[in-house]
Amino acid sequence: MAEHNELEHTEEHQEHMNIPKYIGIFLILVVGTILTYWTATMDLDTIFPGANTLLALLIAFTKMTFVVLYFMHVRWQSKLIWLTALAGFFWMAIMFAFTMQDYLTRGAGTFTN
Amino acid sequence: MRFRISDLGLVKCQEQFRNPKSRIPNKNMEHTHDHYHPPGLQHQFEDMKQQEESVSIGMWMFLVQEIMFFGGMFTVYLVFRSRYPMAFAAGSNHLDVVMGFINTLVLIVSSLTMALAVYYAQKGNRNMQVVMIVLTMIFGATFLGVKAVEYTDKYNHGLIPFSNWNKRTPIDGEKKTEHSSIVLPFETRAEAAGGANEEHVYSNPTGKFQWNYGEDLVVQARDAPNGGYLTAAEKIGYFSNGEIDKDKFRDKVQIFYWIYFVMTGLHALHMIIGLGLMAWLLWKAWLGTYSAEYFSPVEMSGLYWHFVDIVWIFLFPLLYLLGRHFLHGGGH
Repeated sequence: MAEHNELEHTEEHQEHMNIPKYIGIFLILVVGTILTYWTATMDLDTIFPGANTLLALLIAFTKMTFVVLYFMHVRWQSKLIWLTALAGFFWMAIMFAFTMQDYLTRGAGTFTN
Repeated sequence: MRFRISDLGLVKCQEQFRNPKSRIPNKNMEHTHDHYHPPGLQHQFEDMKQQEESVSIGMWMFLVQEIMFFGGMFTVYLVFRSRYPMAFAAGSNHLDVVMGFINTLVLIVSSLTMALAVYYAQKGNRNMQVVMIVLTMIFGATFLGVKAVEYTDKYNHGLIPFSNWNKRTPIDGEKKTEHSSIVLPFETRAEAAGGANEEHVYSNPTGKFQWNYGEDLVVQARDAPNGGYLTAAEKIGYFSNGEIDKDKFRDKVQIFYWIYFVMTGLHALHMIIGLGLMAWLLWKAWLGTYSAEYFSPVEMSGLYWHFVDIVWIFLFPLLYLLGRHFLHGGGH
């Protein structure tokens, strides 16, 4: 009984990813890296200030998503793992937001000499 | 009630754990049940699926605290960069982008080989598992090697943000520091645009942090039409009595280099720990510990390795690629 379940589980695990898929994800990451460098040399700040950084971060988040979902197998994990991973980023977002709502509203001169 | 620790199987199970090839349950075991016992199953778990989930959730909890750990550094970065974007852009432009780019690719390849190590562990393919772990270690070591070259370059150029930690250059300038042997097209362009040709002739007898570039761009940014594009903090932080203050500007660039060294240093420390994990995995994989039924340690080490890769995915654009478009493109 237990044996049957375990084998089933293992087979299930192997179905999700194979070598061509792993290499596909890898190529997406390489393209993302090249794109990051290429867009950094273009002046996108004429569109709106900070557009360069925003695009670089968007590409970085996309790359991270592929790594987390496929290399780290989160796509096929339980909801508890999903929740844990998302909670990490949610808490970091709280840290950023609460810190910046303080610093961005301070007087410029009070922060440093 | 007779209840001994061995009833939990914590002691006897270790034997099977060490010898995964023994598929036949040991009759001498004081288990209350006698079903087939997969290798590596700790006795507090019902089955492998439950064990894997428990191990995964533990690893993810660890990764979440790692996110917070690096998150603190990213917060510091966010605060200072929002204050002094020009100093950050100037500092960033003196990092070695080619090295950073190569290292990004090296880490991505190592993530691929790590993922394949897990894949082959799941397949129970010992040889390919060993090959993939060795490849992961080689790429991880390559990353650290490139990092060491970069750090050395910073040391030679007086860019370590800690007094007395830089290369000492005599005042008479006899021993001029040599530039890195790798000629970078964008750096030559930066010199042409910024007129920072004195780079090789500075004297640094006490090994202080050195900075002499980009001040003209700051003045340009202040005098640009529509009130310029310096932040309020920059208008105070770079100038004294309306004149550009080189020392004050240098101090702000130094903040960037602090952040650069702490973040990449912590990341490198994680890589070193990762290499240690890989060495252990290699030994276990060599012994044939992992099979289609038991491969959690490989998968968990993989999670750690991929996490370290993800941190670098963010560090590369945030540290190496700032302001590359306008500091090299000739004005805003």
